[in-house]
Amino acid sequence: MSKYLARRLGQSLLTVFLTISTVFVLVRLAPGDPASAYAGPTATSDDLARIREQFGLDKPLISQYGIFLRDLLTGDLGTSYSFHSSALDVVLDRMPYTITLSVAAIAVTVAVAVPLGVWMARRADTSRELGANVLTIAGQSMPDFWTGVMLLTVFAVLLPVLPASGFTSWSGLILPTVTIAVLQLALISRLVRREMTTALASPYITVARSRGVSERALTWRYALANSAVPLVTAVGTRFAALLNGVVVVEVVFGWPGVGSLVVRALETRDYPLIQATVLVTATLAILVQLLVDLAYPLLDPRVRLGKAA
Amino acid sequence: MTTTVADPARPERPSAVTTRQLARSTAARQRRSARIKLWAGAVCTALVALPVALASLLPLPDPNAQDLSRRRLAPFTDGHLFGTDQLGRDLLSRLLHGGQVSLSVGILAVIVSGLIGIAAGSTAGYFGGWVDAVVSRFLEAQLALPLLMMLLLVVALFGPSVTVITCVIAVAQWPEVARLTRSLVLVEREKPYVAAARLLGMRSWSVLARHIVPNIVRPASLVILLLLAQAVLLESALSFLGAGPQRPFATWGRIISDGQDYITTSWWLVTLPGLVIALLVVGVNLLGDGLRDRVRTTKPTKLAKGA
Amino acid sequence: MTSPARDPLLEVEDLQIELVTHRGVVRAVDGVSFTVGRGETVTLIGESGSGKSTTAMGVLRLLPEGLAVLSGAARIGGEDVVADPDAARRARGRTVSLIPQDPMTALSPVHTVGRQLGDALRLRHPELSRAEARERGTQLLDQVRITKPETRWKAYPHQFSGGMLQRILIAIALAAEPRLLVADEPTSALDATVQASILDLLMDLQERTGVGMLMITHDLGVARLVSDRIHVMKEGRFVESGPAEQIVERPAHAYTRKLLAAVPSLGPWDEDGLTDHTPLGAAR
Repeated sequence: MSKYLARRLGQSLLTVFLTISTVFVLVRLAPGDPASAYAGPTATSDDLARIREQFGLDKPLISQYGIFLRDLLTGDLGTSYSFHSSALDVVLDRMPYTITLSVAAIAVTVAVAVPLGVWMARRADTSRELGANVLTIAGQSMPDFWTGVMLLTVFAVLLPVLPASGFTSWSGLILPTVTIAVLQLALISRLVRREMTTALASPYITVARSRGVSERALTWRYALANSAVPLVTAVGTRFAALLNGVVVVEVVFGWPGVGSLVVRALETRDYPLIQATVLVTATLAILVQLLVDLAYPLLDPRVRLGKAA
Repeated sequence: MTTTVADPARPERPSAVTTRQLARSTAARQRRSARIKLWAGAVCTALVALPVALASLLPLPDPNAQDLSRRRLAPFTDGHLFGTDQLGRDLLSRLLHGGQVSLSVGILAVIVSGLIGIAAGSTAGYFGGWVDAVVSRFLEAQLALPLLMMLLLVVALFGPSVTVITCVIAVAQWPEVARLTRSLVLVEREKPYVAAARLLGMRSWSVLARHIVPNIVRPASLVILLLLAQAVLLESALSFLGAGPQRPFATWGRIISDGQDYITTSWWLVTLPGLVIALLVVGVNLLGDGLRDRVRTTKPTKLAKGA
Repeated sequence: MTSPARDPLLEVEDLQIELVTHRGVVRAVDGVSFTVGRGETVTLIGESGSGKSTTAMGVLRLLPEGLAVLSGAARIGGEDVVADPDAARRARGRTVSLIPQDPMTALSPVHTVGRQLGDALRLRHPELSRAEARERGTQLLDQVRITKPETRWKAYPHQFSGGMLQRILIAIALAAEPRLLVADEPTSALDATVQASILDLLMDLQERTGVGMLMITHDLGVARLVSDRIHVMKEGRFVESGPAEQIVERPAHAYTRKLLAAVPSLGPWDEDGLTDHTPLGAAR
């Protein structure tokens, strides 16, 4: 167990390290000059040179990388050019908003998708199930920015019942959450349908039915428990992806999370901020995946960590 | 009590299956679902794809012809079926011509990701060992990466040309194909004909390329349509964020992004392009789903075990 | 152990089962009639695909609704389950229990054995508390010769061997206190030595409780050992029916003789007769 954990943590560290290094190189190869973005249009070339020196951008790439790694070990991710404060702090300030939105979206998705998927499995291939299936596909097929703009127009402009943007009150959470949930619904409900259809056709269900177990218990207690591993895997993967930034939805709703932060950081070539964002979100996403893996033995007694993973 | 032997000349018993039972059977329902999905998918796809493909043959105004006196006309006015945009350009014409870019980017991206995915997935599945380890690590890493952000970064790096955006979408999508191909190859590898080919002295590469890959292309190609739907959505999201193909191309995402400022006064500028994208993507998704279901219903089904 | 009881537990009349598949309607069971009385064992024997398991699952109404169309009559304790599927639902877990074909897949892998046995007990006796169900359950496990039932209560199915699982499944079937047991190839997935002990257990149970048994098998060795009557099934029909002795010693139908030829030793039953049995499909 502890050996498995150590190996997994090692792999995760390696993935984070490779990711952050890739980003480090990519941002510096990208055209655009952080110094001129920082100094504004009136800056002279002397100003720019001074700023580059201040940020250490005049050094060769390899030594910049060396300094970056050295600082990384001490937990210093540099100072954001545009916020003039620790890049890590800026990201950590925004993180709670992204986490709140991700948790809300995944909770709503699961709360709707699991009962829906179970219902679809039990009513497989009836007209109503086909209708529900097509509706979820439609939800998945709408561009998320479009769904967001439409919801905004209807519920914040035409019938102004909900705030249009930002996080001023908890009701501001509703529209972005719904937008994300509409997109994720099809994925999770169809997975539940598929897994439940397989589970309900398993011999142990027939045998349990033969001893008088009710259809309700067969569905919710036996079949659902046996679909838990793929379901938790999918939900975990989706959750990790959301933590990585719900960029589009955050931009549409002016949500102050890391997704909208990253778009701004990219525009201003704010290298330290981009690097800090990637580091934090990738670490978090990997942690979620690790937790999902650790949950497997609780969900299925046959799983031994390190063997099945 | 004595043994009784069945009379071999017993008359044939009539079937008790009524037409109603036949129509309500699982088999008939599955076939019906697959058929409805296929038809609905084909109709939705064709409704968008055909006009897009024939855009230059249709009697439409030039997509880039501005007429500032006819700005933001509502649909159905002055022969503008979908109305005009903020610069007086015909929205339908812009959508159809922009769709050519969006669709070509999607199709090209799927072809590229399909090729990369099949190559990587089949070598990983067939050779195993360190090749498999490397490919699998890549697949895992991609799950952990902030994907859209990386794509934005790459577009910023190489410039928002059609080629770059195609490649970027392909890079985002190849893991899905690779994962599927890898699992298919793992199954296929164990089949007797592979062992036979090896015994005949064929090199592993040619066994893989000439025997295994042809056998898995069909099942793998079923995900292609679903990927195409995703590719169209991804391209429009990139365009919306300003990282789509640059002018003069009016891709779907950019039309929506540009129209967003006028949403309260001119609803059609955002609503109609979104509906067009959704209609196409629904169609492609249904088509992919229906094809997969049809494979399921025509495959020899296992009878209930009657010993 | 000769004539069927006057009031049979199971009475099947002209049962016909048709399966609606993607390749058309397949008639799996083509008009079979038989009865099972109290304390009696009736065996359906045939090769794989002959319709014997379909008959058993059809009588319990365990075939998927959208797949199987049943006609004729099958009365469990006097109630016709073909006409009224609810009658089957009422009978399952009360009047009749199933002992399944493959014990390795017959229990939910993510629930403990005790949980599944306890559930079965509490379905029959809703008034039992968890602790009481556990006490009765361990007694049942003891009855089916599972050692250390208290510690095994909390184990998961994958921690048991096939033979032990089949005993546990028999215990679960007995939890319903059934009057009729349907045993669908109860030993075919097991090792030969284990087979003998399971059959021994079943016969012992029948002697003690007087339960009627419908046995499904492809193995004449098994059939001869346990049956009062045997129905030989081929392509959905009974080709020959009669007392076990007669079927084995004076088979009238060519198909029965072929089945017999597949059993290596024809002398009085001994351990080898079971250990050396060849699956009929392979012997063809």
